[in-house]
Formats: sequence, structure tokens, C-alpha cells
Amino acid sequence: MSRRLRISAILAFAMALLLAACGGDEPSGSGGQQAQTGPRTLTIWLMEGSAPPQVIEAVNADFKTAHPNDTVKVQLQQWSNVTTKLDAAFAGSSPPDIMELGNTLVSKYGAAGALQDLSASKAQFENNATWLQSLTESCTVDGKLVCAPYLAGSRAVIYRKSMFAKAGITQTPTSLAELQTAADKLMQTFASDKRFSAFYFPGKYWYAALPFIWDHGGDIAKQEGDQWRGTLDSPEAQQGLTELKKLVDCCSKADKSGDEAKQDQAFAQGHIAMIVANGWEKGVILDPKTGNPKLENDLAAFPLPSRNAGQTAPVFLGGSDLGIATKSKNQDLALDWVKLLAGQKFQTQMATVGGVIPNSTTLLTLHQDDPYLSVFDSTAKNSRFTPTSPNWANVEAANILPDMLVSIFTERASIADATKQASEQITTTLNTGS
Amino acid sequence: MRAVETRRPSTSPRRAPEAARPGARVRRLRPLVPYGLLAPSLLVLAAVLGYPLYRLVVLSFQQYGLRELFAGTEGRFIGFQNYQSILSDSFFWTVVARTVVFAAVCVGLTMSLGTLVALLLRRLGKGMRLLVTAGLVAAWATPVLTAIAVWQWMFDFEFGVVNWLLTRLGVGDFVNHNWFDRPLEGFTVIILVVVWGALPFVAITLYAGLTQVPAELEEAARVDGGGAWQVFWKVTFPMLKPIFMLLTVLSTIWDFKVFTQIWVMLNQRPGRDYYLLGIWSYSESFGVSNYGKGATIAVVMVALLMVLTSVYVRQMLRTVEA
Amino acid sequence: MRGSTRRRATRLLLNAAALLLFAVTIFPIYWMVATGFKRGVDILSFEPKWLPFPATLDNYRTAIGKPFFTTDVVNSMIVVAVTVLVSLGLAFLAALAAARFHFSGRKALVVMLIVVQMVPLEALIIPIYLMLDGAGQTDKLTGIIVTYMTFVLPFTIWTLRGFIINIPMELEEAAMVDGCTRAGAFRRILFPLVAPGLVATAVFSFILVWNDYLIAYVLLQSPEKQTLGIWLASFTTNHGTDWGGVMAGSTLYAIPVVIFFLLVQRRVVSGLTAGAVKG
Repeated sequence: MSRRLRISAILAFAMALLLAACGGDEPSGSGGQQAQTGPRTLTIWLMEGSAPPQVIEAVNADFKTAHPNDTVKVQLQQWSNVTTKLDAAFAGSSPPDIMELGNTLVSKYGAAGALQDLSASKAQFENNATWLQSLTESCTVDGKLVCAPYLAGSRAVIYRKSMFAKAGITQTPTSLAELQTAADKLMQTFASDKRFSAFYFPGKYWYAALPFIWDHGGDIAKQEGDQWRGTLDSPEAQQGLTELKKLVDCCSKADKSGDEAKQDQAFAQGHIAMIVANGWEKGVILDPKTGNPKLENDLAAFPLPSRNAGQTAPVFLGGSDLGIATKSKNQDLALDWVKLLAGQKFQTQMATVGGVIPNSTTLLTLHQDDPYLSVFDSTAKNSRFTPTSPNWANVEAANILPDMLVSIFTERASIADATKQASEQITTTLNTGS
Repeated sequence: MRAVETRRPSTSPRRAPEAARPGARVRRLRPLVPYGLLAPSLLVLAAVLGYPLYRLVVLSFQQYGLRELFAGTEGRFIGFQNYQSILSDSFFWTVVARTVVFAAVCVGLTMSLGTLVALLLRRLGKGMRLLVTAGLVAAWATPVLTAIAVWQWMFDFEFGVVNWLLTRLGVGDFVNHNWFDRPLEGFTVIILVVVWGALPFVAITLYAGLTQVPAELEEAARVDGGGAWQVFWKVTFPMLKPIFMLLTVLSTIWDFKVFTQIWVMLNQRPGRDYYLLGIWSYSESFGVSNYGKGATIAVVMVALLMVLTSVYVRQMLRTVEA
Repeated sequence: MRGSTRRRATRLLLNAAALLLFAVTIFPIYWMVATGFKRGVDILSFEPKWLPFPATLDNYRTAIGKPFFTTDVVNSMIVVAVTVLVSLGLAFLAALAAARFHFSGRKALVVMLIVVQMVPLEALIIPIYLMLDGAGQTDKLTGIIVTYMTFVLPFTIWTLRGFIINIPMELEEAAMVDGCTRAGAFRRILFPLVAPGLVATAVFSFILVWNDYLIAYVLLQSPEKQTLGIWLASFTTNHGTDWGGVMAGSTLYAIPVVIFFLLVQRRVVSGLTAGAVKG
């Protein structure tokens, strides 16, 4: 019937137009659906700022010699909203073969089945016997190894030597009491500067609050059988927070409701004596555009002291791991690449060129001649991690710890009430779904 | 093209020419032409939006987390449990109230200030009008991400120019004042950003509408002894009403759905005190991976909006029939 | 002369109000542009520096120097142009149908168009991603174009329908009596009159696509396929924010929109009133 024909013609034409618009005038070749034989492409997601570009290029060069027919595509991702992107990618049919994951995120994705079980291949990794304890812990889900430790970062106190000298402090504090004394002295010496902070501590900086809690014997949560229980309201944890609050009240002009993202730029302004920081933050402080390069020789570091003289407080070990996607079609290829980056040669480069803490304790000696970096390495040896529950990422996403700290420092709630509420929230969140 | 006067006449005039047209084939074809015209758009919408919308509604009846997402399996059907848990959660009602108040304030400010600006524009001389319009257009053209970045910087804790200014003006000690510490202050800043970006469109559109209001009518009313206020309400505003209603409804929908301004201004980590429905839905889905609950909140949000705009929608539908 | 003094006073007041309004609307933009030209030490100073002297082009150099900047620009331009043009074409046809024809489902269509605009787009990210993934369209500009089109179509169809309804059918009928076909009448009579409406909706689509960050971030992966929204977000890292870079970048990011606006502004205004008065 010619009428129907004409209608179908119109519709077909419209469809054709649409499909033509959607037709691939795009050069295809984004990774994923490749045949198992023949040249393959490995897609790797690394987080921006983690690794120096030259190290990655070197890894790819080595990989190329071993696998001349295969291509490697490294894509740098930004940290903000990364979990949304990871969720979508893992849900799709062709996620990247290798992912760099923040160590606190691994549990969540591992428990959901996104990461390949590497337990059987563990022995193939160089230095696997001396992997950093906390990183390995972060890679272990249900007793299985789901990723390889990649790099770590720990925190210590960065301070201005000249300010210490001016305040007459000759030795870096070796106990919490000494830290408090030093801070008081600094505040006195620089009393004329209204903006001065002896110990700059932004309210939401929970990574730096954990050492105080851990040092006094408290913890975020405890696992009792199958269930988790938030323990921030324990007397020990509260004690630690009380000590921290003393320091914040007397000696910090930082934003009690802000986070630590801008603390390096603030430090470079010259009104701060001490901050709790990662090793790489020195680079930000000295940045020629947003920092003050003149401070180069005035910066040094010491570990956050414990309340017990002579010991250091346990610090939170941040870091990243490398995981292989379960849906990856190039498992063996991916494994080879990860073994390279997590292996002796490139971990050494990461440490020396990148200044990060490598994944193996044997390599911690690399920084021993660097008075600055060795401080951070030493604190890594006394480091702890957040609860290894798959729901931990949800605790972070719900901002339970930062909000608790803010209400404590702004005195909107007493330490007892704030910790109690946070503990209850943590208990509920960690136990969802179990 | 003056469309102020007429409403659409009934369709009878249209039938007459058709009957006279030659080509029975064309006449038989005609009923299908609209479908043909609609087909491409509907195809795209159905393909890319239809299925996800269906999925969204289905998700709201399921328990769906990361494991299901990655394995591609169906979630566990739990009926109305998500809805029940939300409706019985006092936090839900807080968020709804907050969203409604937020949207009301934004819309109220935008529409009232927009009207005032439009009236001002009408009274200004050509040069000044050009200046003000240029400013409005510049603000309108600024992309949202840019606007958020600038406003965030102006209200910065340490280096913000607003803190400095307020301290200098003696309003108080705003040195190192965190505007987002207290939600009331934080929302003030956010509302400022939203209204700053939304005002130009409303003002310029209303101004254009005002230029179509015949000056004689207003003159007549004034001669009859009406004060400026009365003239506005009795003569000017009724003529503006259609545009005004349209803008109000559009603003309501957009301000209800505000997400980026809050999300980005609070550095992707808004506290619970800042949750509006859109933010809560996103955080349930992508923050704690409870996609079912996130979907439920989104569905409730749409339902709420439908209720809020129902009067206008019904009015619109009446004109469709005509 | 009391009358003229009062008039002068009113005029003064109005002008003062106008100046204040201008200052308030333009200050953030001035602050952004000025900060882009400031040196780092002047940006991060406790005393704000009102004028960007000594000026530096460093921030702009950083912004443009970011890897893949030119690719991002090209990608954004392509995505915006294709989305706006194709959706305009499709929407015009659909609006014609909705405005000029009677068919069953017309009411439902209008309701659907309004309701769809109420859906929070962020809630649809994962389902859309999964669908595009099934079609092999993730990490492809075509995939993201189609996504943006669906976000833009409902509003565009609805608005254009309003415009078309406002144009008296008598004009087309007159043309048809003179021997035009229906399609010819659409093309020669209706289309030019709807032009302001097309421009107005083009502007909205442009803004929506240009403003987007989240959708592009999730749907695109390769660095060669990114758009400018993602580029702007890259100035904030977990090492802190490069404020000079952000401001310079934001200025650059806003320029195409401003230019587009300046070009079409008059048409937009006339278009909006002509279409919108009907409601």
C-alpha cells in the first residue's frame, strides 16, 4: 500500500538522519572490546598527582619490550566525584583493566566483586613479603588479596625552623606535653600577630585527629564477630580528642569548619608555625605560583609525638593500591603491568623521583639520607588504618568524622555527645547490609 | 508579531480549506504526519531517557547496591519498603521542608527583584539602560561552574574579599569567617549565587514584556487618579501575567532541582544540614551506594514538583484542548 | 520649579539604583577577570588587591598549557554545536506536530514534556551510562551528544510549541490559498516567524550543555575526549586549588558563552516575549 510505504519512508528517513548523526565519524579505538588474540590494548586509570609522569613512561617502556604488540593507554582521573565514575565504569561491560584506588575505597569495591582476586598471584610480586602492613590490609577483603599495594603517604609535623628558634625552642617535641609547651611558647612569642597559629589545625582534618585518638588507646570502630561497633565514645578516644581540642583552642586560627585542602597555601603566607601534613605538601608550600619558594631552607619535619615521651603517635597511612577489574579481558596482561609498577625497580623510582613512600619496608631505606623524607618514612612504620569494612567508604561519604570534629571544635556539642552520636552513626553505617 | 491580544480561535476555520484541497491520498496521509514529525524526537527521548526513567522507577522498589550494579543482576524486590522508610524518616520531612523553603525564597527573590529591575529598566534613559542590560547579560552568560568558583573565592575564609569588606565597613569582625559553618549563612551565599545567575533572564524577559504593555492604558489609569502602585497592579501586571506565570513555574522547577551550586560550593561534601532532595538522592546513590533509596527520593521529588506546579499544568492543558 | 526638581531627584535616584545594580551584577565578573591577571602572591593576600597591577599572564599560560586544552575546546565546540543544531531541528518538527495538528495523545505528550523536565538529571546517570555502554557509546562524543539532546529536547519542544501556537494560522492559510503546500507554508511563513524562538531555545541548550560537568565526567574517559567542564574542574586538586588558574580558566570558559549571547541577545528577548506572553 503506497500510503503505508510513504509513512515508512518518512520514518525511515528520519531514523536514517538520526543514525547518521550518531554514526561513528569518531575514530574508534577506546579500549575494551578487543579480540583475545592479536594486539591488545590495556586501559589503565591512574589518579592525577600520584605518580611522576616519567615513572609511568618508564613503566610503559619496559612493558613494551616485554609485550611489543600490545598498547598501553594510561588515563589520569581527577579525585573529585571519582566514586561516581568508578561506580559507572565497574558497572559497564568494559571497565579499565587496571585502576588506582585510594586505599580506603578498595574495601567497598572489592566486596562488591569489582576487583580480581590476586591471592594466587601474590607470590609473583617482588617484595610481597615485605609489603607495608596497612596497605596490604587495605587490599584484603574476606581474606582475599584484591589489589597490590602501590604507594603510601603518612603525616608528620612540618614546622618553621626560624619560628622555633625565635621562640627559643631548641629541640623538636618528643612528647605530647612538649608539643603543647612549644605551641604555647610560640603563641606568646608571636602574640602581636593576630593571625598567627602555632599549630594550624582545620576542623575537618580527621586524618590528623586520628593519631590523637589512637595514641590514647582509642579507635574508630571495633569488629565483634560479624558486627562492627563504633568506639569513638570510649574514654580513651575522648581523652585523645580533649588533648587535641586543647591545642586547637589555644594555638590554631584555622577554620574550625574547614578542611585541610588550603593549609599549605595558608602556611606559605607566613603566619603559621606548625601543620600536620603529608610529605608532598612541602612541594605545595614551596610552589612558585601559589606558595613561597623562599621558605625552602626554613622547613623541617618531626613525627607527631606520643603522650609517652620518646615515642611517636600512630599515624593514618594514606595511599593507593592497584586493582585489576574482574571484567577485564586482559587479566594476564594487566597483571604483568601491575607487577612492574609494584615491583622493585619502579617502586624505587617512585620513592626517589616521586618522594612517596614505596610499598615495601625494604625500600624505606631509600630516603634515609634525606632528613625530611626519612621523618615521614619513620612514621609510616607506626601507622594504622581505618576499619576494613566494605561499608567504610560510606562512613567517609557521609562525613561522619569531619562533622563530629567540627561540632567539637566549634563547641556546638560536648566531646561526649559528639562522639556518642558519631559512634552510633558509624555502627549503623558499618553494619548496613550485614 | 503581536500576540498579546488573541487566544487561539477554534479549529473550525481550518477544516474548510482542507475539504477544498485536492488529493484524497494526502487527506488520508494527514493524520499520520504529526506522528512522523514527532517520531525522531520521541525516538531519541524514548531511547535515551525512556529506559533510564523506567529503570529509576523500578529501582525505587528494589534493594539495589554496588554488588547488583557490578554483576548486572536485578535488585531484590522489596515493594514499598523504600518509600515507607523515607516517609517515616523525620530527616525526609526536614529535607522536603528545606527544599521547598529554599526554592520559595529563590523564586520569590528572583521574580520580585526581576520585576523591580524590569520596571527600573523601563524608566531609565537609553545610556543607563544599556549599561544595566550589559551587566545583566554578562551575569546571565557566566557559566554556573564559573559563577560558583568566583563566589566561592569572594567568600573565602582567609582571602575572601567579602570578609575583608564587611570588617572594613564595621559590620563586625569577619576576619576568618567561614560562611558555610552555619547553614543559614551558607544558604544565604548559595541563594545569592542562584539568584545572581537567574535574575537577568527574568528581568530581561519581563522588561521585554513590559515594552509590549501599551503606554496609553497606563496613562489612562494614572489620569483616572491611580497611584503608581495601583497602576501597576491593576493595569500593568495583568498584562504581564502570562509571562510572569511561565517564568515562575520554570523558576520553581529549576530552583527545586538545584544541585551543582550546593555540591560544588561545598567541595563535593555538603553536610547533612545542606541536603536538599536532589543532593540527598545523589548522596544515597553514589555516596553510600544505596541506589534503591536514591531512586525513591528522586521519584518523590518529581511527584512533589508535579503537585506544586499542578495548577499551572492544568491551566496549560486547558489551552491544549482549545 | 517643584515638578522638575522632583523629576531630577527621581532621575538621580533611578540612576543611582541602576549603577548599584550594575555594580552588583558585574563585580563578581570583574573580580574573576582581575584575579586571573594577578600574581599568586597578590591573590593569596589578606588585603585584597583591587587592581591587578602588576599583571601577569602566568595564570592564563597555565590554563591554556594544561594537557589536551585545545582538544577540550574542540570537543566542547563540537558537542555543543551538534547538540544544539540537531535538537533544534528535531524539536521544531515535534513542536509543529504538537502545535498545529490534532492527534490522540497530544495532551499526554504535553504533560510528558513538562513532567520530564522535573526529573533530577543526576539520578539518571547510572542507567544512562549502562544504556550507552550497551550500545558501545561510552567514552564517545556521539554518546554524550545524544545524552545532552535528551536533556534539551523536552524544554525546546515545549517552548517552540508555545511560539508556534502564537503565530496565527491565517498566515499559513493565506499562503496555502495562494498555492503553497502545507510544507511550503511551514517553511516560508512559519519558520522565519519562529526564528526568535529558535534562537531563544538555542541559547538555553547552549547553556545547559556548556555548563555540564558531571555527565561529561562520568561518560567520558579518554583524555582526548574530555570537554571544557572537566578541564575547569581540574584546577582543584587534592593538593589545593590554584585560584589564579581557576579564575583565568573560568574567564576563558565564559568567553564563548558571552560572545554567543552578545550575538543573539536582541533576538532572544523579542523571541521570548512573542512566545511567552501566551503562556
